[in-house]
Amino acid sequence: MDNISLVLQSLISGISIGCVYGLIGIGFCVIYNASGIVNFAQGAFVMIGGMATSVLMTDFQLPYAAAAIGAIIIAGIVGAAVERLVVRPLWNRNVAIFVMILATLAAQIVIERMAYILVGDQPKTLPPVSDLPPMMLGGVAVNIQSLWILASSLIIIAALNVFFKTSRTGKAMRAVSINAEAAVLQGIPVSRMLTLAFVISAMLGAIAGILLTPTQYTAFNVGVPFAISGFIAAIIGGFGRPLGAFIGGIALGVIQSMAILELGAGFKNVAALSLLLLFLFFRPSGLLGSTR
Amino acid sequence: MNPAATSSSLPEVAQPVLDVRSLSASYGHVEALRSVDISVGRGELVAVLGPNGAGKSTLLRAIMGLIPNHGEVLFQGNALTRRKPGAAATKGVVLVPEGRGIFGPMTVLENLELGAYSVGRDKKEVERRLTSVFGLFPRLKERFKQTAGSMSGGEQQMVAVGRAMMADPKVLLLDEPSLGLAPRVTGEILDTLGALSQSGLPVILVEQKAPLALQLACRAYLLSLGRIVATINPREVKSHDELAQYYFA
Repeated sequence: MDNISLVLQSLISGISIGCVYGLIGIGFCVIYNASGIVNFAQGAFVMIGGMATSVLMTDFQLPYAAAAIGAIIIAGIVGAAVERLVVRPLWNRNVAIFVMILATLAAQIVIERMAYILVGDQPKTLPPVSDLPPMMLGGVAVNIQSLWILASSLIIIAALNVFFKTSRTGKAMRAVSINAEAAVLQGIPVSRMLTLAFVISAMLGAIAGILLTPTQYTAFNVGVPFAISGFIAAIIGGFGRPLGAFIGGIALGVIQSMAILELGAGFKNVAALSLLLLFLFFRPSGLLGSTR
Repeated sequence: MNPAATSSSLPEVAQPVLDVRSLSASYGHVEALRSVDISVGRGELVAVLGPNGAGKSTLLRAIMGLIPNHGEVLFQGNALTRRKPGAAATKGVVLVPEGRGIFGPMTVLENLELGAYSVGRDKKEVERRLTSVFGLFPRLKERFKQTAGSMSGGEQQMVAVGRAMMADPKVLLLDEPSLGLAPRVTGEILDTLGALSQSGLPVILVEQKAPLALQLACRAYLLSLGRIVATINPREVKSHDELAQYYFA
């Protein structure tokens, strides 16, 4: 394979993994906009997506689609539980935001350990969504799973856009993110919107996990690295900007892929963290400008 | 005129729609509102006046349940106090906050629709209310697609009042609607409030520009250091000097 083909293949692979980082980053944004909290339990939802789908398929013999939907629902319930049991009690006591952020980190560890107790420490994987061979595009072999990831991500972004722009609940969530007190004055149930933000965010994380697992593997402890990638994606895009997080995720994925190609796999995280530092030094508000 | 604590000939108070009794509120250890009694009846516009830091905004926030408070707020005879924030809004007690509280990045239409959040998914009712608000403020109809944050201060205030009207309020509370507005625009907004009051809507208007508020009000409460220190009949206040006597008495 010539150099250009390798670069193009890495580019496609980077875009594909970047879409997943973007979805995780959007999860960060949805909760941040609703509450100002950076939810470090986001990685746990990614883990739940892959693990629960695998368990539902192997132990409960559910078909792929049903297992995936089941996993997304489980993640949504866990997300609601994190909000109700961890964040809400602190929120009601008006504690500082950083305390709630630390509490979500603790929740991440608890969920991770519960997964370890329930499912064990063996890595799990999922079959590709389709058995088709890689598609050849001008000498570049494109993995069909990458196309699935790309297509699913774009559909989810479009669906989220429609939800936030046109639905009554979506508009109410946006209003809460802009001015929570003014939203209360309109009779918008702000606390319900916060729960919903956690549910949506958890579901996005789970979808990311389901899309990723066929290309990699999942285990009880995969959450934190993915959460860090999603967090970096959100910062690159402008914290609180869902579209920014998606673009940031793709940028991060592409730069990681190129670093692996040119410098070796050991430089993957170096490239990611260097990109993060560059943004923090020179453009801390991200590509689209942060919301707060 | 002898500026006693209360004007000698206040007009008869209509049957109160909103009756605030012995309302107190604190910020930490600082008592910002001390046993305040005010009321507003159908068709009345009452003004709450006072210098900076008198507790005017605190009074409205306490009525809405946005800050911890004690005392009674009776709305149509039923207690509102200590209900969770937002409960007053769903009952029909609607506040246009200081600084307007509009959702700047959202369009005028979205802002107005959110005012009718408690209506639920009844699109016909939302449409009916939109038509009514556009009748009140035709400029909002012309600019319904524009983001609210990109409008002038006066237009933003129209969005804020229009959004409040979308909730079909039973009582309307306004906190400094003239703040930062040109005199002409202030006049336009206050005229609309006067018309709303005359149509039967009870209005409580918190305003620093006392002469403007007194032109519309049937009764004014003067607040100082969290207490009502005078209840004024605006018709008895003939000049700025007389008003100043109330402030300094």
